[in-house]
Amino acid sequence: MTVVLNPPPVDEGRIAPSPTGGRPPKRRRLVTMTQARPWLLLAPALILLAGLLLWPLARVFLFSLQDYGLREIVSGESNFIGLDNYAEIFSDASLWNVVLPNTIGFALVAVSSTVIFGTLVALLMASLSPLWRTIVGSAVMVAWAMPAVTGTYVWIWIFDADQGLVNETLKGLGLMDESFNWFTNPVTFYGIVALNIVHHGFPFVAITVLAGLLGVPKEMLEAAEMDGAGPVRRFFQIVYPTIKPVFSVVVILSTIWDFKVFAQIYLMPGGSGSNREVLNLGVWSYVESFGQNRYGFGAAIAVLLTVLLLIITAIYVRTLFKEEKV
Amino acid sequence: MQKRYLSIAMAAVVALALSACSGGSTAGAATDAKGETLNVWIMQGTNPGSDAFFKSVGQEFTKETGAKLNVEFVQWADAHDRFVTAIAGNTTPDVAETGNTWTAEFADAGALAPIGEKVKEAGLEDDLVKGLVESGTYDGDLYGMPWYAGVRSIIFRTDVFEELGLTPPTTWQELVDVATVIQAERPDLIPFPVPGDAEMLAYPWVWGAGGDVSVQKGEKWESGLAGDQAREGIQFYTDLATKYGFSTAGATTWKETDVLDNFAQGKVAMAISGSWTPATLLEKAPELDGKLGAISIPGKDSGISPSVLGGSHLSVFNTAKNEDLAWAFVEMMSTGQYAQDWADQTGYFPGLESLLKKTMKSDDPLVRPFAEQMVDGGASVPVTPKYGAVQAKKTTNAMIQAILSGQKTVDEATKDAAAEMDEIMNGK
Repeated sequence: MTVVLNPPPVDEGRIAPSPTGGRPPKRRRLVTMTQARPWLLLAPALILLAGLLLWPLARVFLFSLQDYGLREIVSGESNFIGLDNYAEIFSDASLWNVVLPNTIGFALVAVSSTVIFGTLVALLMASLSPLWRTIVGSAVMVAWAMPAVTGTYVWIWIFDADQGLVNETLKGLGLMDESFNWFTNPVTFYGIVALNIVHHGFPFVAITVLAGLLGVPKEMLEAAEMDGAGPVRRFFQIVYPTIKPVFSVVVILSTIWDFKVFAQIYLMPGGSGSNREVLNLGVWSYVESFGQNRYGFGAAIAVLLTVLLLIITAIYVRTLFKEEKV
Repeated sequence: MQKRYLSIAMAAVVALALSACSGGSTAGAATDAKGETLNVWIMQGTNPGSDAFFKSVGQEFTKETGAKLNVEFVQWADAHDRFVTAIAGNTTPDVAETGNTWTAEFADAGALAPIGEKVKEAGLEDDLVKGLVESGTYDGDLYGMPWYAGVRSIIFRTDVFEELGLTPPTTWQELVDVATVIQAERPDLIPFPVPGDAEMLAYPWVWGAGGDVSVQKGEKWESGLAGDQAREGIQFYTDLATKYGFSTAGATTWKETDVLDNFAQGKVAMAISGSWTPATLLEKAPELDGKLGAISIPGKDSGISPSVLGGSHLSVFNTAKNEDLAWAFVEMMSTGQYAQDWADQTGYFPGLESLLKKTMKSDDPLVRPFAEQMVDGGASVPVTPKYGAVQAKKTTNAMIQAILSGQKTVDEATKDAAAEMDEIMNGK
């Protein structure tokens, strides 16, 4: 990438002002060519991205400005209504009372737990012998490879109110007299979702951070140990600053994933709309658009989600670059 | 080079010839549809498995028309989304079973082909079950061919009732009395589950108490869920769980399929269930043979509490390449032997009056109570394309679940649900 973005200095030499100085037009053409080259090289990728990402994004935005229902889908006509959909979203009490708190609160908890747990696993793996590292790595990969739907149903069974493992165990231990339905209370509901998401998401963090850890110079760590730094201090003073870019990548990606979590909530008992206390942005958008054929409104919610994610990512990337420059 | 052109020309000629024979004929179209395939979606949920039935239909269909029948089974719970995405992507089947509350919605969207003419031609017009015609009609034309009707009543375990010397309840109070005995004597059983994600099981109590779900007043729909009588019914229904404890903690998030699964596992003593479920239960749990009974849903003090008269249409989508072939399938399914067989095997009621009369005479203890419920206690959810949206938003389910989980009181929950229903049904 960097090679393409920063043209090699050889080119600069070639277009240096000629001693005769009498051919400015050719020089300009050369400059344009040099400037255009990276873009030419990037063009295939950019065109592909535009076709696969930008155009759908633009379509969703256009839908969000319309009252777009089944009839419009069938007829292919458009039906613009300006910003009415957005006005309706922002004046909806459930957005402020339920949907946003659920979405943001859950993302905070899930991202921090995933990153912390993943890092701990990575630290463990880094201190293992290659054989055991492979064994633990493969075990971790199994959790990663499990399809989201399968994983969700396993958690649903574990917490099933009448026959689930958790309720039976708690009752067996005498900690609980009656079965408890973990899915009706928003806090326990999202607790289960968090377990599911962390279980599914930590392997990515662990493997990525492990790759970073293995690149940390051993000499620095040994030197710090000689100087009497404990493991915690070594982590925060040496390891963390060295592999900070790795952390920023996993945090940004986890944030994006956890913000738009859908299947893991929709499939849970009550998660598909009958328990209004547990709606998040993704499920809300789905229930409003596909269920009621109000694709315009659903698209507006999706745009809101995208903007929210872009803002978060932008802030994060900015602070990152700022720190790097210092 | 020339050779290639030749083959293209040949292909074009063949294609022309093919399209000519499929498009050109009218009455005889069905018989020379060789090489064509008719794609059909059939719903699946709490009804008995129907692989064998459709295999036989497929063979007969090929024999009569020469076309292949490709049946795909779709779960009721996902079906609405599947239809909508298929409509959006132009990948709808040629013919599909559509729930009777959806037909008007899809017709309104312009996705269905009208079939009124064809019904008239076939001379079936006066033989269709009225309730299903009403829900299959949109803007004056018929879009859904009545296929079958179903109604929900109460099924119970006769062996448990015999063991405890109980007689089936005939009033709401008796229902509580009976359940109390079961609760005391058979703690391993759930006396009467109250599922929080199944709207159809809640309406009988609303109507039984004299309330309304939603009624049309002039141009506007007005939900009656927050009315005194509806609230009394919902209070009684949810009290079965919250006050008496006849249900379980898990049932708060159950769907109708969960009720049936638990009944099949022998964990439930009584439950509201569809006329098509005894056959399903016996298929899932043959050991329940001879232990199943059915009664109409008791009225508050006497009589029957009305329950939803549901049913399915067979609808032809406007993407169907050969509408005559599609209609041939619809006619074959909804009239004659296959309609009768389907009704007998599944416990649904046929969509033709002439066939329905035969079923009504049945003395089968697992058919008769449902037939009575259908005749004397059949009711309909609001007939408007907008009701599909209410169902999709799970307005009633959310109301019941919120009461069961203690998030809201009956008064709060019914008020919120009524407001939401009005907003959706009177919306754009």
